Amino acid sequence: MGNSSSTNKITPRDKAILDLKVQRDQLEKYQKRISVITNREKEIAKECLRRGDERSAKLALRRKKYQESLLEKTDAQLAQLQILTSDVEFALVQKDVLFGIQQGTQVLKEIHREMGGIENVEKLLGESEEARAYQEEISELLANKMSNQDEDEVEDELEALEAEVSGVKLPEAPGNRIDLTEEQKAARAKERARRRAQERAAGQAAEPMAA
Amino acid sequence: MTMATDSSTPNSDFQFPPLYNFPPFFTLQPVLATRKSQLQSWSSLIQSYCRHHRLWTLTLVDALETPLFNNTKLSRRLSLRDARAIIDWMTTPEGDSRAEWIPTTGKKPSRSDEYSEAGKCWIYWKRPEEWASALEEWVDRTGQKGTVLTLYEITEGDATRREEFWGMDSTLLAKSLAVCVKRGKAQVFGAEGSEGVKFF
Repeated sequence: MGNSSSTNKITPRDKAILDLKVQRDQLEKYQKRISVITNREKEIAKECLRRGDERSAKLALRRKKYQESLLEKTDAQLAQLQILTSDVEFALVQKDVLFGIQQGTQVLKEIHREMGGIENVEKLLGESEEARAYQEEISELLANKMSNQDEDEVEDELEALEAEVSGVKLPEAPGNRIDLTEEQKAARAKERARRRAQERAAGQAAEPMAA
Repeated sequence: MTMATDSSTPNSDFQFPPLYNFPPFFTLQPVLATRKSQLQSWSSLIQSYCRHHRLWTLTLVDALETPLFNNTKLSRRLSLRDARAIIDWMTTPEGDSRAEWIPTTGKKPSRSDEYSEAGKCWIYWKRPEEWASALEEWVDRTGQKGTVLTLYEITEGDATRREEFWGMDSTLLAKSLAVCVKRGKAQVFGAEGSEGVKFF
């Protein structure tokens, strides 16, 4: 048929399943036919009774009974066919599962082979352990090389850092500039001048002591 | 199967549109614009009527007696000529290809006049390609890809009783499956009369 169906082939197995299912359908159709017949016989029996023909009514009912017994028999056969089709389909699923397991195992094996077996892994782990030990040795050597002075400095810095971390946090300086009025500027200049004079006085007082 | 008049009784009654109780609706109007909207209304009425009663085909002479074309309350009915004109319009692309005449003879007549009085036609409330998609959707939804299904169990089986395509005319099913096959979604195989289909 179309070129697109080249990958999707109908296998002989599919045909066998189809045959099974067609059989099943035929049984179903047969059952439908029988139920139509039994209904008709019932109608006939009713009709006969209405006419007072009891014998014919009985005959019709007998025919109906027989058809019903056939229906029961086909029920069993239908069930059998249905079980068989389900079994076949389930077997197909099982086959797929098996195939999947096979594929998975193969891939797993391949990956293991690429890893080069247990000995290789052990060897690699040993090597990595060795390298780590070597690195540790180097670190130790380097640590011993440090002089006492260096260590002191390190400790000082640590203390300073600790103080910074745990110490009081200073309030932040205001970001914006404060505009001062003329009056305030004048007041500040005066204040500054006063402080400088004080400082100078203190400096002169201290000098004679140094001298 | 073709005229499932008896199977329609268990369904609840079909709700006719208000237009159905408007007497002029039953005579095709000569003015082009009016006529076109009338054709459209008839087309959608026929489609929803067939969808409701699950009719796949209409045989015009029989259908003229059904409530679809015969409003007993108004004692108005559509004439055969007008009904045929409506179906004719429905077969055109303008009518959305919602109908198709079923040829009685082997040759494909071009005009509807060539049909006998009992013109029979498909009413496509779903076109074959729409049915194909519905079938594909159903197979997908029920996880039946790769399983072999008989055509009988698709349209008559207990498993599909609730599907829209249950009881579908076997010819229409074959047409729809042909679309699936063309799309590469399915393969039909098996002997004539007992075909099966496998969806991929």
